[in-house]
Amino acid sequence: MPTAAEFEKTIKSGELIESRSEMTPEYLRELKHTLVVSGDTELISAPAYYLAAQKAPSINAFMTGIAIIQDELAHAHIAYHILEELGEDQEKLIFSRDPKSFRYPYAFDVPLDSWTELVVANGMYDQAGFCLLGDIHEKCSYGPWKRGLNKVMAEENFHLRNGRTWMKRISQAGGSAKDELQRAVDWMFPLSVEWFGLPDDLKMHSTQLEYRLKGLTNDQLRQWWLSTVVPYCEQIGVKVPAHQETQEGKDVWVLDYPFPCEFDAEEKRWDFSKPITWDDVLVRWRARGPRNAEMVAMFQEEFHKFRKTHKNGN
Amino acid sequence: MPVNLVDLGVIYGIAEHDGVVDVDLTFTAMGCPASEFILDDVRERLLREDGVSDVRINVVWDPPWTAARMTQAGREALEAWGLAV
Repeated sequence: MPTAAEFEKTIKSGELIESRSEMTPEYLRELKHTLVVSGDTELISAPAYYLAAQKAPSINAFMTGIAIIQDELAHAHIAYHILEELGEDQEKLIFSRDPKSFRYPYAFDVPLDSWTELVVANGMYDQAGFCLLGDIHEKCSYGPWKRGLNKVMAEENFHLRNGRTWMKRISQAGGSAKDELQRAVDWMFPLSVEWFGLPDDLKMHSTQLEYRLKGLTNDQLRQWWLSTVVPYCEQIGVKVPAHQETQEGKDVWVLDYPFPCEFDAEEKRWDFSKPITWDDVLVRWRARGPRNAEMVAMFQEEFHKFRKTHKNGN
Repeated sequence: MPVNLVDLGVIYGIAEHDGVVDVDLTFTAMGCPASEFILDDVRERLLREDGVSDVRINVVWDPPWTAARMTQAGREALEAWGLAV
């Protein structure tokens, strides 16, 4: 194991870390935490998307939805596999953890009930994943993860394409189809903005940045996301509560509502007249949302049932 | 995809008469999840050519596509992407 000084030198030099023997215990802990968030996010997106994929309007669209779910499971597997190499038990991580201890964005706990909501998720949630993973892919100091993400990024592009193509198609159809699209965007856009976490002025210190596990701050990632999603939505005629303006000589994306603010998960409705604090948001996140237990049970229950019958020799 | 459709070997034929382009095309698998995007792209790209007024795409499954239908350039592009071909 390197000394703290040796380790700091490696990190600052921009070199990649390839094995446990090159890590300090603190780095290993932070790397594992980041991998768990990534693995859990990819894993839980599968049952989240599956609910809506079943509402696909054609066999072809259903195949695309299912293919995206297959990709997400594979991406989860990459993160859990690396965790296993780092000494964690993959089986325990996936099948024995309490639903509330899974570390994925709150957005996935709110049910995606229609094909329209699925394609907005592909256009917005997958774009959030694309920004977060793209940053890790570019900057991550842990070599095995950085290389694994090459392929993940290529596949995420396909998900974005599904989201964007369908959002445009539905918008062009107009009428009630477009109204449904707008309603989906209305609740899913602010959830995606929230995805990137605490604003930089409330988050004084980031160990992930210090260890080069990622390269961009929460606000920088949020700006990147806004810079792709807002222009696209405007281009296809969908309204989003954000605009661009110049502040201190720099173009920035600005939200048209108090951030953060109150969200009713059962009604899928934001109340822009009720600003809240980040402590309130953290309380909502920790309590998890409507589908948390059900989605985790979707893969845990059958696993344990199978294990039990297997042991009995059936 | 890092490879174009011609090098991938999925374009089986193309003909043009009076501004109408007929394309025979297959997919690498019947369950290709990108098939709609590919059809959209082919149509949109051909319509950008001068004198093309309509595009008719005929999806065919005979002969079935195999990796042997790829060109050398296609093979190299996929290998560079880390795919075994």
